Amino acid sequence: MTGNAIAMEDVRKAYGGNLVIPGLTAEIGGGQFTVILGPSGCGKSTLLNMIAGLERVTSGTIRFGRREVQDLAPKDRGCAMVFQNYALYPHMSVRNNIGYALKVAGVPKEERRKRVDTAAESVGLRGLLDRRPSELSGGQRQRVAVARAIVREPSVLLFDEPLSNLDAKLRHGMRMELTRLHDRIGATSVFVTHDQVEAMTLADKVMLLNNGEIVQYAAPSELYENPATTFVATFIGAPAMNLLAADGEGAGIRLPDGTLLTKTPFRGPVTLGIRPENIEIVPDGIPCRTVYSESLGSHSVIVAALPDGQELRIATPLGRRMTPGEALSVRFMKGAIRLFDPESGKRH
Amino acid sequence: MVEDTRGIDRTAFAILIIGVAFILAPIVIAFLTASLSYEEFVSAGGIGLNVGSSFLDNMRRIVTETQLPGQLWNSIVISLLVAGIKCAFAFTATFALVFYESRWNWIIFSLTIATVMLPLELLVITTYQIVANVAMPLNWLMQITGLAWLAEEVVGARHEFRLSLLDTYIGVALPIATSSTSVFIYRQFFLSLPKDLPRAAAMDGASPFRFMIDILLPLSWTPLVATFMFWFIGGWTQYLWPLVAAATPDAQPAVVGLAKLANTEPDRIPDVPLLMAGALFVSFIPVVLIGVMQRQIVRGLNLSEK
Ligand SMILES: Nc1ncnc2c1ncn2[C@@H]1O[C@H](COP(=O)(O)OP(=O)(O)OP(=O)(O)O)[C@@H](O)[C@H]1O
Ligand SMILES: [Mg+2]
Repeated sequence: MTGNAIAMEDVRKAYGGNLVIPGLTAEIGGGQFTVILGPSGCGKSTLLNMIAGLERVTSGTIRFGRREVQDLAPKDRGCAMVFQNYALYPHMSVRNNIGYALKVAGVPKEERRKRVDTAAESVGLRGLLDRRPSELSGGQRQRVAVARAIVREPSVLLFDEPLSNLDAKLRHGMRMELTRLHDRIGATSVFVTHDQVEAMTLADKVMLLNNGEIVQYAAPSELYENPATTFVATFIGAPAMNLLAADGEGAGIRLPDGTLLTKTPFRGPVTLGIRPENIEIVPDGIPCRTVYSESLGSHSVIVAALPDGQELRIATPLGRRMTPGEALSVRFMKGAIRLFDPESGKRH
Repeated sequence: MVEDTRGIDRTAFAILIIGVAFILAPIVIAFLTASLSYEEFVSAGGIGLNVGSSFLDNMRRIVTETQLPGQLWNSIVISLLVAGIKCAFAFTATFALVFYESRWNWIIFSLTIATVMLPLELLVITTYQIVANVAMPLNWLMQITGLAWLAEEVVGARHEFRLSLLDTYIGVALPIATSSTSVFIYRQFFLSLPKDLPRAAAMDGASPFRFMIDILLPLSWTPLVATFMFWFIGGWTQYLWPLVAAATPDAQPAVVGLAKLANTEPDRIPDVPLLMAGALFVSFIPVVLIGVMQRQIVRGLNLSEK
């Protein structure tokens, strides 16, 4: 089975006079895993709830495949949702939690039993079906929530920050399981998060929102390699991309104090972006001074000050130890430099 | 810091004993008095601490010679109606208030609160008029719309609809049940439930009504039971309104019947031992209920999901 594509056309949402989503047009590919990413309060949940039917659109259309759904009740859209705080029914056993949708839909008891067993099996919940949610761990509860969502075999699966209540290790495990589950059932998955690592690892495509508008909608690697704006550049990647205020003088780009950064041809004021891992430490490059350095196990991060005082984050392979005040010199790798307009923040 | 916990314990214990004695004294006196015969009581010259042997005899007289047993049944029915109606209306009203957003919610909520501030005792006369003829609004309506005039032309005589609920269970119970105190309690409880619960139910295809029955009702069981007990006992001890609304002894609840026992013959000293036996007889059911349901009540009024 392949899930429906979701097409949104000029979708708006206002709460009173507060325009949260000021007109959004996008298509989410059928059967794809799409992550909606963005800072807190940017309207991710609102958008997801409108797709689910839990929130009405103020204007605009949403289509699942050919069908216009924006005026349909959630149950008539054929989508299911996993909530951040699980939202399991506390008084029902795990079996009844998973099977409630089927019961409401009037599925006969025997078939219900079978489908609940299958769904529980596929998220590794065997043997826990008779427990109450309060007798489960956080990870197990999240599995129940996922099983409850997939038991109806929805064509669209929605997730609103489902992993944010789990500890780091469990989160990693659940990420892998969700990817496998998605590949197996083939529903169109839309996953909301403000965690860029989740977005990068899970997504076929990432929709990056800011203030209710799409900033960039592309594959994770594209987002990382070719950020469309300085907002994307700083939002994706940890440590974040360096953004330096600089001036192009035709044959190269210099810092305001005259230090030559690169021989990339450009003319006029510019914001130069370079990822920390694309900066090499070399014997005779741009001179700077170590401000701070930390070791992260797999690599170290050095914060260094350029001659004009701007700071530079440098990721180096482990073993390189710098003490504050120590001088070093660096070079920006060829092809890794991204130039942005300092006014609009847009990519040149 | 090390507290002198033994000293504190002893003081607390003493306070507790005094409190218990204070609360139990009337009951003990009631029991003692109920054990006297009328002659013993009169010769003792009033209420004292004498123990007699006529307790069972007094109880037998209550059961066989007074209307209290039948009125006890009236009390049970009326209290069940009061508690049932109160809980059902408060539950559904709170459901609507909490889970449906509307601009008018605060007005509805304020009106709901207003009913708490207008106790039945203040409105006895108006309430009596309404219960004496619940068809009154219909008559008004016919008057206003001109239908009454039309009917008079056709039939030739003026017709007034009459339907009195005086002396009926529902007529006694309904006005007592029109107060919304439980809305506060349920509202707090509903607000403490996870916000995504109704959304999850909506995603599962449950209608709001289905959500109320399948999910909200089972979750609210403890506060429901606690408030039900509360209103049951509240209905049991109502005096003024049942006295007004139920004129015949057959329809009166036990508390009213008990009061009537006291003033049968004006020139005689009242049979206080019999009265005390009656009082114990009438309060037996609420006391047992509280005893049995004590933990449920405390848990239910704790206002949160277990
Ligand atoms: N019911 C509502 N009434 C009024 N404003 C709302 C309502 N729900 C959300 N908003 C506003 O809409 C904006 C977007 O909210 P939304 O919940 O979609 O953000 P989000 O991107 O999911 O954030 P987070 O990552 O914190 O969950 C916020 O500014 C919020 O204050
Ligand atoms: Mg959110």
